[in-house]
Amino acid sequence: MRTVRSLVNWRSLRWKIALLVAVACCAVALTVGLLVHRSTLERSMNDGAAKAVTALSHSVERYAREGTSEPGDELDPGAMPEELLRRLHERKDPAHNPVTWYDGGPHAPRMWAATSYRGEPFAVYADMTPDLLTRQALDRHMWKYSLVVLGIVVPVSALAAELPHRRLRRVARTARRISDGDLAARTGAGGGDEISAISATVDAMADSLHERLLAEQRFTADVAHELRTPLMGLVTASGLLPEGEATDLVRDRVAVLRNLVEELLEISRLDAGAETADPRPVPLAAVIRDSLARTGLGARFTAHGEPWAETDPRRLDRIVANLVANAHRHGRAPVEVEVTGTTVTVRDHGPGFPAHLLAHGPQRFRTGAAERGHGHGLGLTIALGQARVIGARLDLANSPDGGAVAVLRLPAAP
Amino acid sequence: MSAVPVPEGRPASVSILLVEDDEVIRRSVALALERYGYQVATAGDGLTGLERFREGGHDVLLLDVMLPHLDGVGLCRRVRETSTTPVLMMSARGDALDVVSGLEAGADDYVVKPVDTAVLVARIRSLLRRATFAADAPPVEAARKDTVLVFGDLAVDTAGLEVSRGGEPVALAPTELRLLLEFAANPGIVLDRQTLLRTVWDYGWEGDTRVVDLCVQRLRKKIGADRIETVRGFGYKLRRT
Repeated sequence: MRTVRSLVNWRSLRWKIALLVAVACCAVALTVGLLVHRSTLERSMNDGAAKAVTALSHSVERYAREGTSEPGDELDPGAMPEELLRRLHERKDPAHNPVTWYDGGPHAPRMWAATSYRGEPFAVYADMTPDLLTRQALDRHMWKYSLVVLGIVVPVSALAAELPHRRLRRVARTARRISDGDLAARTGAGGGDEISAISATVDAMADSLHERLLAEQRFTADVAHELRTPLMGLVTASGLLPEGEATDLVRDRVAVLRNLVEELLEISRLDAGAETADPRPVPLAAVIRDSLARTGLGARFTAHGEPWAETDPRRLDRIVANLVANAHRHGRAPVEVEVTGTTVTVRDHGPGFPAHLLAHGPQRFRTGAAERGHGHGLGLTIALGQARVIGARLDLANSPDGGAVAVLRLPAAP
Repeated sequence: MSAVPVPEGRPASVSILLVEDDEVIRRSVALALERYGYQVATAGDGLTGLERFREGGHDVLLLDVMLPHLDGVGLCRRVRETSTTPVLMMSARGDALDVVSGLEAGADDYVVKPVDTAVLVARIRSLLRRATFAADAPPVEAARKDTVLVFGDLAVDTAGLEVSRGGEPVALAPTELRLLLEFAANPGIVLDRQTLLRTVWDYGWEGDTRVVDLCVQRLRKKIGADRIETVRGFGYKLRRT
């Protein structure tokens, strides 16, 4: 299918090269054809004129000697073409050479030769039909063979263009794979032309991207280790404390700290591009319903139909949980969650998203407006990042009748 | 997060070997697990851990990934050379490399730090269930004779819990055995990763499916690569013949 599409794509480089070759061939064929046509015509005229002049001198001699004329001799000026007579009258030649004129039609073509015999015009004509037929045959041949050569050269040049075309397509395919996140993709092309230069550049770009990504991922993993190790000690040790009010305070703060560290690590993994989705077909309504149940926060859930989506349920859960938690923290109940097709809408009835958030997107550690309450503003950043990872679109807006509306559009199951 | 309750009916002398270099984690996790009634032996680095393990008597290994001298992955690999004792890895990095290499080395499961003691205990219990299932089952089912399932050159004795390939016995770790039994109970049927995570690993909700993939890989190495087929986008199935 793709081959067919690339074959019929008239803007493809292959057809451009073929067209260029065809135009060049046509130009050469036309120039050579015109030159041959003209020189043949000229020679044919000269030969015809020479023949007519020879015939004229023979006829004049015979007429002078025997007083008879042959077919082809013309003594009546009324039967002579006007142009020939005009040329005869305007003749300034002191040697009284005969004049010639080619009469192309409408009857059979004739080459006239005329001179004055005792003050009267004397003309003969030679039939030029065979000559004309020969020239027409030559023209036909030139046309025919030019077309035959074009018919061979254009497909051959299109085929020859296939090789660079294929190499360029491979470069394009590799670049597309790299931009889709496959940083191990390389063109691996050799050679010394411009296409190899592009390939080498794409490979070098992928190398440096890959290196940077690896370094960032390593850094993120190291930071994770450095933060989580003491936190693990803290979590386990605070679990060992005897029950009491002070213990509850400590555990509450440990929980907040732990949440914050996990969210920061998640954001840095998202930033470093270290996250990849593990998509599979999921029953959307059931997954969202379970997800809402796990949050332990109240939400009014409605689903239309039994839609399936191709997505990563763990990441979808993170997005939905963060959106619902955000609605509860910054908006007001009731929080409504609606599934329509592969679109999930979360809306609350609070003051809505602040203007700067709608304009610039969520900013880390900035909830902006005091009326939206406290929070570290990481939840929406994570939701947006995870949405990108699963190839979904998350749009934030305010409802005209109040309240924040987050719309998550998932890719439909194939 | 909740306090660690002291459970009633202590598990009868289940011994856990904890190998962890961070002293606070080592001591607090040991204390917490002891409150749950487990006996906990500890080691602060990989080599000491290996020595302790070789002294014997441990039912579960709890390994940190990053350890001095011999890291958790290397330690797990050395343990697997001679033993099928369940291994639970604890990773603080939680990145793909750590998790994958730990599971490839033969770990049965992993948790990412920080982990609640309750979660840790749940994972340990799940591991123990798989291990004791292997140890307890034979006397109960021994009377039945038609318990040997044959798939090509593979024979699975579902009562005696013995697996042989071409007549040669195959040593499977408890998780691998549990996974194979799941396949053997549903020959030719595609089992998706989430189902396997639920039935074999006791994960209640979406777990990390790499655990399944890597255990299937280890199982394939032992029973023949083409015995378990991958059904792209769905899961795995056992070939009948």
